[in-house]
Amino acid sequence: MRPIDLATPLGATWALLPEIILATAAMGVLLVVGWRHRSEQDSRLAGWLSLGALLVSGVGLMYVWTEGLSPIGLETMIAVDSFRYAASALFLLFSALTIVLSLGYLERERMLAPEYYCLILLCTAGMMFLGAAVDLIVVFLGLEVMSIAAYVLAGYDRRSIFSAEAGLKYFLVGAFASGFLLYGIALVYGATGTTNIFLIGAQFSGGQIPVLGLLGLGLILIGFGFKVSAVPFHMWAPDVYDGAPTPVTGLMATGVKAAAFVALVRLLMQAFPGAESVWQPIIGTLAIATMVVGNLVALAQRSLKRMLAYSSVAHAGYLLVAVWPGSRAGAAALILYLLAYGLTTLATFGFLAALGRRGERDVTLQSIAGLSRNRPWMAFGLSVCMMSLLGFPGTFGFMAKWLVLSSVVLEQQWVLAVVLVLASVVSAGYYLPVVMSMYMKEPAGADVHRDIYVPGPAMGVMVGAVGALLLFGVWPSRVIAVALRSALPLLERALTIAGS
Amino acid sequence: MADFLVSIRYSEWVLHALLILPLVGVLPVLMGPPALAKRLALVVALAEFILSLGLWWAFDQMDGGMQFASAAPWLPGWGIYYRVGLDGISLFMVLLTTALMPLSVLGSWTSITSKERGYYALMLVLLTGMLGVFVATDLFLFYVFWEVMLIPMYFIIGVWGGQNRIYAAIKFFIYTMAGSLLMLVAILAMVWQIGTVTGVLDFSYAHVLAHANVVHTIAPWLFAAFALAFAIKVPVFPFHTWLPDAHVEAPTAGSVLLAGVLLKMGTYGFLRFGVPFFPEVAMSPVVSNLVIVLAVAGIIYGALVALVQPDIKKLVAYSSVSHLGFVMLGIWAATLQSVEGALMIMISHGLSTGALFFLVGMLYERRHTREIAAFGGLARVIPIFSLILTVVALSSIGLPGLNGFVGEFLVLLGSFAAHPWATGLAATGVIFAAAYLLRALQRLIYNPLEQPENRSLKDLTPRELVVLLPIVAGIVWMGLYPKPLLQRMESAAQRYVEYVEVGRGAGPARSGVAIEPVDARAEP
Repeated sequence: MRPIDLATPLGATWALLPEIILATAAMGVLLVVGWRHRSEQDSRLAGWLSLGALLVSGVGLMYVWTEGLSPIGLETMIAVDSFRYAASALFLLFSALTIVLSLGYLERERMLAPEYYCLILLCTAGMMFLGAAVDLIVVFLGLEVMSIAAYVLAGYDRRSIFSAEAGLKYFLVGAFASGFLLYGIALVYGATGTTNIFLIGAQFSGGQIPVLGLLGLGLILIGFGFKVSAVPFHMWAPDVYDGAPTPVTGLMATGVKAAAFVALVRLLMQAFPGAESVWQPIIGTLAIATMVVGNLVALAQRSLKRMLAYSSVAHAGYLLVAVWPGSRAGAAALILYLLAYGLTTLATFGFLAALGRRGERDVTLQSIAGLSRNRPWMAFGLSVCMMSLLGFPGTFGFMAKWLVLSSVVLEQQWVLAVVLVLASVVSAGYYLPVVMSMYMKEPAGADVHRDIYVPGPAMGVMVGAVGALLLFGVWPSRVIAVALRSALPLLERALTIAGS
Repeated sequence: MADFLVSIRYSEWVLHALLILPLVGVLPVLMGPPALAKRLALVVALAEFILSLGLWWAFDQMDGGMQFASAAPWLPGWGIYYRVGLDGISLFMVLLTTALMPLSVLGSWTSITSKERGYYALMLVLLTGMLGVFVATDLFLFYVFWEVMLIPMYFIIGVWGGQNRIYAAIKFFIYTMAGSLLMLVAILAMVWQIGTVTGVLDFSYAHVLAHANVVHTIAPWLFAAFALAFAIKVPVFPFHTWLPDAHVEAPTAGSVLLAGVLLKMGTYGFLRFGVPFFPEVAMSPVVSNLVIVLAVAGIIYGALVALVQPDIKKLVAYSSVSHLGFVMLGIWAATLQSVEGALMIMISHGLSTGALFFLVGMLYERRHTREIAAFGGLARVIPIFSLILTVVALSSIGLPGLNGFVGEFLVLLGSFAAHPWATGLAATGVIFAAAYLLRALQRLIYNPLEQPENRSLKDLTPRELVVLLPIVAGIVWMGLYPKPLLQRMESAAQRYVEYVEVGRGAGPARSGVAIEPVDARAEP
């Protein structure tokens, strides 16, 4: 434990070390790109530089994490606790995997504008601020930094009309959601006179919450509902996920969504712990609607990418279940589920990118028929991913889902638990056909899958991710312990503030 | 023998070895040349069988608790351990599994011609999964094995099955998963609830069993979730609709293992978890009557549907619904005889139905049809086949002197006092069984030899005899001298009956007298 004073420049620098490194590096990469932005080599250089930036930022994060900084007094803007570090580590990991997946992809799709990588870095910085924020203004700033980069990334494939649609749609809906959020923040400020979530939490801890505050909470929830694509605010998600370049879809479905969830759970647990009776029913209803609608609509999809888009909506429902208890177990389950879901999703999108030689939108159950014949390892990897998304024992997805389930069963919330498992059964209806098609159907021709080319780095990501899914599926005790430890300060802080 | 086993400390490592060995075998099977795959798989399966044989002698028949128990931490913070153990119920399930597996591998020798490495690797994974279900004494571990075992079976049906295999595979998977996920919620709820009351978070079977009365307020719901998972697996009428599809579409060895082992997991689940955890609920008049009605309905319905099947494999599949109805009846009658009878049926059904599926598969390999009408007069062309078919069919009918009789007789005997009407109706199932099997037998092997294709059929090869003769030997042995089996299952069956008695008698406040000392022993 090392006490730091956040009011001094040195203290603030220590507390923000990973973010500062990342933002500076993003500027550096932008400078390099300013001179070199023409050829494939330039694009690749920017990619590797960005990866290096994430890595250095990760080292900084690990340093801060292990050092065990403890702030003197109240954190006013940025949390200095292990929940933030764990969340930041997730964002860095997801972004790094996205960048590696993009390396070969951008060249294949001839999207040779290396600013792409700067945008990913900026998006990541936004996620880290959003996940760390303990002030509503910082929440908004982080959200905007993250979202604006993501809007551009979604529309990055300039020649694709679908990508353009995705960018525009995402932007319009995102701006709309930001409006809700901002209005909610304003109302909460009006009710409490502060934007610091600990101070808000202290004011609301008695359980007596003015109407203005409740209205603000409602609007904030709507704003986050859009961001995490909870039903009924999910309408944009399938089109955007479908149209955006595949690695970007991966990042949006994992990192961007994860950041919104982390901020949401911190907000609910630290600013509104006294209003549990208000937000729990809302979150519960959203969770049930999201699980049911997401899974049922995914059943009807033909295109794999669109199916994954709806499945991502469904997973937002499972994550909302972990938000519901507002407990340490719930927050830990959220972190763990985000990790499992993120690894699985990114690996799946990697496979999808490799399969989509003529555009990922055309990858259907028919086009992957008989994949196991010529590409046995690929079929195996994708099957593991599907099983992990399904939450099947032996994969990390099961362990994560099990923790989510425990977090609600612990609170004796049976309805959510039962809906969650029934929704999982429904999801077998669309994850299994992928496996079935690869193993049990005949390929359309003898050489139909021979031309699949997986670039080396992307291969590394897929092998690593699939290996991790299996490893953590059998031996999860370490990760679970880390997740549980990281979720501890959420409650502790809230309690000490409320007690003082 | 017992001394030798003690000298090699057999009881300390045998269960781990049984679980690990097939997984070790997977790698060479997958990596080696395709032609070697079946040989390697056979070696592993035989090694498993020989390894498991020691259980027969090392098993202490006076002990009704978990033997060979051991534990290793898995998620110790959550009270989840890798805990295994064996009692008189699981002993026979393990032996049945290890005995059927080498035969299944040998039975697939010529019928599986494509993607052999994958097939035999999956068979080995399936072996570990099945054994794991029977030896797990940690609820979480049990659940994991219960689910994981679905995957190899899903692929075995879906890749190497018949015409309609994909539909059957998905149906099998989703039915089973739907039931078992609710069971997962129930397991969690139960363990948490017990954890909050006792202060010990522990997924071990012994712990949950000892404190199961803590959850009596929500016990009906928990029991419903457990019962649904097991009832689908058994399958209890009306949850049986996945069974004909899966059994008929699966390749021969898949059907053998489905009928021989997988169905028993359902009844095993009731014997091990469903009833002992919630005896008050399970034996309450409403539930008890419902189960008995469903069991008898299954016996008669299965038999009637089997009677009209033109396809022999379907006939055998439906006969399983009927036989498993007897097991359910025996479990719920809960007298010593009926429970021992239920266990005996579980074993003998595994042998006889397994053998029937093998025989059907052998016939199919020769003629590529399973229509009963396509055959007739086979006794003249293939006498050895016909002889074995007759013996096996008679054992399935329950002819005294063969294995089927012992179990059904014990169940009927043990159930009569408590449920005379149901038992009387169930007994008609035996008559129906005679009707559908003898009729099929007549049309297959006795009627005049009319179809010219049947004249050139070849009789059983030595390999096929090696598959069938051990089963026939088992059938005869169990029928003539079941005493060693009954002795070994007696204390476990007695223990089960005591749980039920306590539940019936004392109501929600369960007396700890009968349970406590036993748990101390079962605790690894």
